[in-house]
Amino acid sequence: MRFLTITLLLLTIKMMGQEEDVPLDSIQELEEVEVTATIKKKIETAMKMNVSVDEFLASSDDISFIKRGAYAWEPLLNNMGMERSTITIDGMHIFGACTDKMDPVTSYVESNNLASVNITSGQEGSSHGATIAGNVDLKSKSTPFSMQSNWTGSYQTGFELNNKQFYNQGDIAYSSRNFVAEGSISYRSAENYSDGNDQEVDHSQYKKFNTSIGLAYKTSDLSSLRVDAIFDVAKDVGYPALPMDLWLSRAIITSATYKQFFQEGMVKAWDTKVYYNAIEHYMDDTTRPENLVHMDMPGWSTTYGLLTKLHLSKNRFNSEIQLNAYDNLSIAEMRMYPQDRSERTMFAYSWPWVTTQYAGFSMNNSLEVSEEGELNFGGSLGVNYNHSKYVDFNWIFYPGAPQEKTRWLPSLYTGYKQQVNQFDFSIGIGYGHRAPSVSEGYGYYIYNSFDRYDYIGNPDLKNEVSYELNASAGYSNEKFSLGVNVNYFYIQDYIIGRILSLGSPMNYQSVGVKGYTSLDYATLFNFSLNSSYAITHDLHWNGTLAYARGLDDDKGNLPFIRPLSYQTSLHYQSGAFGFQTTLNGDLEQEHYSPEYGEDLTPAYTILNLSADYTFKLNNYKTVLQVGAENVLNQYYSTYADWGNIPRMGRNFFASLQINF
Amino acid sequence: MKVFNLVITVIFITGMMSCTLDKTDYEAELSAVVTDEHEFEEAASFNSNGYQINLEALNGTLFKGYNELRFNITETASNQAVQNAEITFLPIRRDADEEAYSCPHGYEVTYDSTNDYYSSYAVFDYETATDASWEYYFSITIDDETFTVLQEITVEPQPNMNLNMTAFTGNDGEQYYIALIAPKSPSVAENELIAGIYKYDRPEAEIGSFPDPSQFSYSEVQNATLFLDPRMPEPSMGNHSSPNNQDLTQGDDGLYYGVVNYTMTGNWTLNFILQSSNGDVIKGTEVPTDFTPGVEGERGELHIDILF
Ligand SMILES: [Cu+2]
Repeated sequence: MRFLTITLLLLTIKMMGQEEDVPLDSIQELEEVEVTATIKKKIETAMKMNVSVDEFLASSDDISFIKRGAYAWEPLLNNMGMERSTITIDGMHIFGACTDKMDPVTSYVESNNLASVNITSGQEGSSHGATIAGNVDLKSKSTPFSMQSNWTGSYQTGFELNNKQFYNQGDIAYSSRNFVAEGSISYRSAENYSDGNDQEVDHSQYKKFNTSIGLAYKTSDLSSLRVDAIFDVAKDVGYPALPMDLWLSRAIITSATYKQFFQEGMVKAWDTKVYYNAIEHYMDDTTRPENLVHMDMPGWSTTYGLLTKLHLSKNRFNSEIQLNAYDNLSIAEMRMYPQDRSERTMFAYSWPWVTTQYAGFSMNNSLEVSEEGELNFGGSLGVNYNHSKYVDFNWIFYPGAPQEKTRWLPSLYTGYKQQVNQFDFSIGIGYGHRAPSVSEGYGYYIYNSFDRYDYIGNPDLKNEVSYELNASAGYSNEKFSLGVNVNYFYIQDYIIGRILSLGSPMNYQSVGVKGYTSLDYATLFNFSLNSSYAITHDLHWNGTLAYARGLDDDKGNLPFIRPLSYQTSLHYQSGAFGFQTTLNGDLEQEHYSPEYGEDLTPAYTILNLSADYTFKLNNYKTVLQVGAENVLNQYYSTYADWGNIPRMGRNFFASLQINF
Repeated sequence: MKVFNLVITVIFITGMMSCTLDKTDYEAELSAVVTDEHEFEEAASFNSNGYQINLEALNGTLFKGYNELRFNITETASNQAVQNAEITFLPIRRDADEEAYSCPHGYEVTYDSTNDYYSSYAVFDYETATDASWEYYFSITIDDETFTVLQEITVEPQPNMNLNMTAFTGNDGEQYYIALIAPKSPSVAENELIAGIYKYDRPEAEIGSFPDPSQFSYSEVQNATLFLDPRMPEPSMGNHSSPNNQDLTQGDDGLYYGVVNYTMTGNWTLNFILQSSNGDVIKGTEVPTDFTPGVEGERGELHIDILF
């Protein structure tokens, strides 16, 4: 309980809450820009005020998840996985070190060091690197400078009964005229959860420690320098859907940012960041005595990067020009132990020291054509270079494949938004390339426990090319709003695994070998409908309906496509009391893909309830929340639960949040 | 500002922190059981008739299996290298009953003028033991003067399983030998697989005075095909195999060339089927191709085990 002690220590530091207006001077502009970044949506959902990053993302219509357990869900943006989207932290590229996708980038942050999450769909997200599905940018907290010395902070604690999850989170910030220091610390631990049949799901426990520190120094009236670091450790994490667990995963994410603002001229701001992050990931199968083979599977991922951005503005024209460069080295090893441990171990690389270097130049522009109309356009051109140090591994399946590969990745998009009275409409198109991921290009016998095949990367894969259409229409008045969003992707040379007639499995659970190949094309259609209605001043209703359809070039179903899903929620506020209830579920997954190990997932409906009470504790704003998830204790698993592992049954939770 | 600098330094140092577990040193991993030292060194040296004869072999040692041999002859008096000698050599093994046997070898030693040495080979099928002692019979002719040399040698056990050999009686009743020559130090890669395939020539002539080379004659098997199916015998590997292997066919130098892919380090079995130039199977059986986790891989009738 070392972490708890540290948290408490931090909290005993005397704090003063001051939020007075500061006198105007030349730093005003600097503050304005930074303040806008912090007033975005808080990291909480309609149901819960203290959520994990995964739970928070799950509340977005655009994001669904592949779940391999209770921890580190793999986000799907527009029903596309990690290869097709970019996930960044303040624009920084970070790549997980697990060949089995146990560690999406989102697993290395914590809700109390994030300010907001920016989700950009499709090619509009290409300024953060080549993408098909879009970008998820996790914005870390950044406290602005203030005229008077000022301490702020908050503390959250809570527990969840089902899996005996306890968490303690604290964050604290000091800001003054020219110096800001802030930090956060968080520790969560959970035991196995139980499903709707009150059966314990083995290997679903986790422990996560996360801390961050940020220091900013105002170097002049219009410039500042900031350094940030996040340190994250996950230990003893179970993945019930996988044949292995995690012994330790550790990430250190650091950056230094220099910002310069300009009062005159077209250039308004210049923002430059250098960053470094290193991830190590060690899986553990000693917790699974049923495994026939003991394996060590460590992975490492190290990234250096540079990001520099100019913000231009003139009259009705706004533009952001960005240069984005990074260098990543991904290494994954596997060592299998023979049954007679005195014999020689068997070693191979699952990622044979694969370097990815990317440099991209991008532009996002918006032009206000009129009071009601806005034109957005932009694009990027990136160069992506891959190098496989131990290319011999790749040559086993693809003899003579090049050790190095350079790809050009262009992207273009444009969109137009128009407001007509209480209606708004938008339409947009996009075109973009992406390079194959490390696993798709250079992976070697990566076991996929979903379809039970060993996957082999192909260094000669073509770029995946996306042609995208999107449109939205909405109506809103004071009490009611309704919005429809659709997008359609035609993805040429869609990369997916196909059974190889070559070779034989290496992992004992495997049934064969699949190689990443390009389909001629695949199509993806996403639809969502949102509505809200203020029934009375205190009673609000919210509803969402989402549907997606993904087809390959043979009109077969793509895997992990969400069936028709819905969510409806009611929120009632009465003075200091708030009540909310949500009902959400998926219909039957008719369009499943047996080829990729999917089967028909039945429909389910989940009911959640929560209530909160806000009061003053020693003059500090305090919120207490209690609630229950899956109130009806339904036994279910969703279309994207790896290996159909059941989700959590009825769960009571309570949390307390104190703001200083 | 001082604090600021300090914190930056701390962050920098933290960032540079080493990993919890070390990465595997791949080069060291590959040389864990197979040393990569393959230098020709002197294995024996002897004087006779005013000449000094040096014998070089890999690492200066003769091993069971295929040995490439290099000779140098120097005239002791003038210290001049002799390049025009005619050399024949015959390795003889005697068992406990003093019965004499030989093994596949290059009887006629040829001079390699580009590299300035005489070269030959021997495929020792037994290592030196109480019931197996080896000796060389050299016959050297220099300027029409012939002399013979008898030299005792020691054949060590083969420490490198990648140079293993097998001797067997073919379905045609003949005695055959297959010896691995390369890769000496394989890696997880496409490896060029080189093997020598030899056969004992049954003597037709009467036994002459010992050592009668006609009684100990071996030849390279011509135009055969050696079909290859590499598999990992380890039970947990479930009879794992690799793709893109190529069967061995004879090259211009008489040796057999093919490709073996090793998908990971460890124990492998090279299952062979030896087929003669007219298509008859001399030896070898197909092995099951099923993936059978937990069961030790079945080996074919003709196979060589390797390890790296
Ligand atoms: Cu992992």
